[in-house]
Amino acid sequence: MKKISITLSILFTVTIFVSCSDDIRRKPGRVYMPDMAYSRAYETYSVTEEMKDSLLRHGVHFSNTPVPGTIKRGELVPGFLLAKDEAGDTANYAASRSIQNPLPALDSMQMIEANRLYLVNCGICHGPALDGNGPLYKGGDGPFPAKPAQLVGDKKYESMPEGQMFYSVTYGKNKMGSYASQLNTAQRWMVISYIKSKQQAAGKSAAPAAGSADSTAAKK
Amino acid sequence: MINHRPIVKKLFLSILLSTVVVIGNHLFAQDGKALFQSNCASCHNPVKVVTGPALQGVTSRVTDKKLLHDWIHNNQKVLASGNKYFNDLYVQFNKTPMTTFPALTDGEIDAILKYVEDYKAPAPTAGGPGTSAEPSSDNTLLYGILTLILAVIMLVLLQVNSSLKKLSDDKEGIPAAEPIPFYRNKVYIMFIILLLFVGGGYLLVQGAVGLGRTKGYQPEQPIFYSHKVHAGTNQISCLYCHTNAWESKHATVPSLNVCMNCHAAINEYKGAKLLREDGTEVDGTQEIQKLYSYTGYDPKAGKYTQPGKPVEWIKIHNLPDHVFFSHAQHVRAGKVQCQTCHGPIQEMNEVKQFADLSMGWCINCHRTTKVDFPDSTGNGNKFYSIYKSFHKDLQSGKMDSVTVEKIGGTECQKCHY
Repeated sequence: MKKISITLSILFTVTIFVSCSDDIRRKPGRVYMPDMAYSRAYETYSVTEEMKDSLLRHGVHFSNTPVPGTIKRGELVPGFLLAKDEAGDTANYAASRSIQNPLPALDSMQMIEANRLYLVNCGICHGPALDGNGPLYKGGDGPFPAKPAQLVGDKKYESMPEGQMFYSVTYGKNKMGSYASQLNTAQRWMVISYIKSKQQAAGKSAAPAAGSADSTAAKK
Repeated sequence: MINHRPIVKKLFLSILLSTVVVIGNHLFAQDGKALFQSNCASCHNPVKVVTGPALQGVTSRVTDKKLLHDWIHNNQKVLASGNKYFNDLYVQFNKTPMTTFPALTDGEIDAILKYVEDYKAPAPTAGGPGTSAEPSSDNTLLYGILTLILAVIMLVLLQVNSSLKKLSDDKEGIPAAEPIPFYRNKVYIMFIILLLFVGGGYLLVQGAVGLGRTKGYQPEQPIFYSHKVHAGTNQISCLYCHTNAWESKHATVPSLNVCMNCHAAINEYKGAKLLREDGTEVDGTQEIQKLYSYTGYDPKAGKYTQPGKPVEWIKIHNLPDHVFFSHAQHVRAGKVQCQTCHGPIQEMNEVKQFADLSMGWCINCHRTTKVDFPDSTGNGNKFYSIYKSFHKDLQSGKMDSVTVEKIGGTECQKCHY
């Protein structure tokens, strides 16, 4: 009888140990020295519970917009001076047509960087091939309900001046949002230079391709 | 005499007209979608309000066909004429002017309208890969039971052995010692103490090492944001949202305007079933509504009507205050993939800490990672270009490669300063 009770108690203990190992860890657990693990100074996202209360009381959180008039280090000056149009007004959108791209032509390394910026920020909707058919649209099957601009192959966008493109990237257009928080001024101009160079390349390659097709046909 | 000419003329005209209509009809079916996609789709969706109104049912809302055609050809003229329906619509959509389409023929417009009225939204992809995910099998319990059974068998066999020994001793007339119950048997007690010592020691060391480490930490976030849907299914680059990983110490959680770049238009979730880690289902559309409540966006009006408030995301990956870590240094200079440290993030519905972020883990990677020096074309990491001697040694064949450790990757002050 005693043997059975001892065996049972061992079994019980093991079951408890096994069942205690939880699969989903919802709590971070304890640390040795909290004052060394968690910053005493305010650091991005490292807010402790007590700090959070006092910060929120002062209206401080990490997604605040910068103070108006703030100029970022390394920002292109004077930058883009046209303000965003009010709803129903297109004056500045029209005026942006005359704004020139302040950057000189991109060299090959800058072009690689511009390509990267395009693929990260624009390709998701406008397509890696600039055909207006990125993974979010997928010819109408993706989650995005509106068709993104077809940057290569649509006369409207091929003839659009760079300044007007910059306006749209900076303030958003139709269902496209503003990219001013993700791309700085120089990066936005770089992406536009990249789009323009792709449009020109497509325009050029279309003409010789047709020509070569003709010549091969002629040979036959 | 009967004048035949008008009849012939009428007949000819009617034949011509019917031919045109037949050909036109044929074209409608083919080109409605293409025409819609190239002319209208950037602002309109058949069943969803985008920049402009949802178009399905437009022919019943505007019964005057000519008026509708006039509107599509040149909406400014219709607005100027003072039509109430269209002027109200114009105000409702924030006075966003519609592009004029003077070049579209009546046939083309009819084709577009037919496509819009016949359009059916693609069926939601129910099921799919999200549901077929099997729960990972955990064998710990099985092994535990197996060990227990084996231990019981061993005890029984030991008992049998001692009984048999006793029997044979009795037969040979050797006087049996006083029988000792197994729980007072010194060998057994020794064995159990040893087991407890080893097992307890193992658990103690594991606990002590694990204190302060949060591998597997998976808190419930204020919004069920699925990296699987965004980075996996929809192939959004990590850097789209975590822009600063490229140039700053922090990868940064995006501000809500970045979410709204897409979610101003995407207001419902139609993909594969979303499951929490414990298997309960999540309503994706409801989670997008939560985003709207944080941003103060009114999806019906398409405007921000309330002041926004921050989402209090729970930080998962936490390094102690005495450790310096820069995302830019790793992502941009070192070209380390996000997944190297964060695991298969594109497959996680709820983010889980993948690496233990211990010092040994950092050091092991620094010991083996090769530095990508600039090649002849200038591609590569120029950060360490002062180490010319390594180049020379590499070129002369004295070394075959340089590890991170050799250029100070294990200096204490790199992290503890």
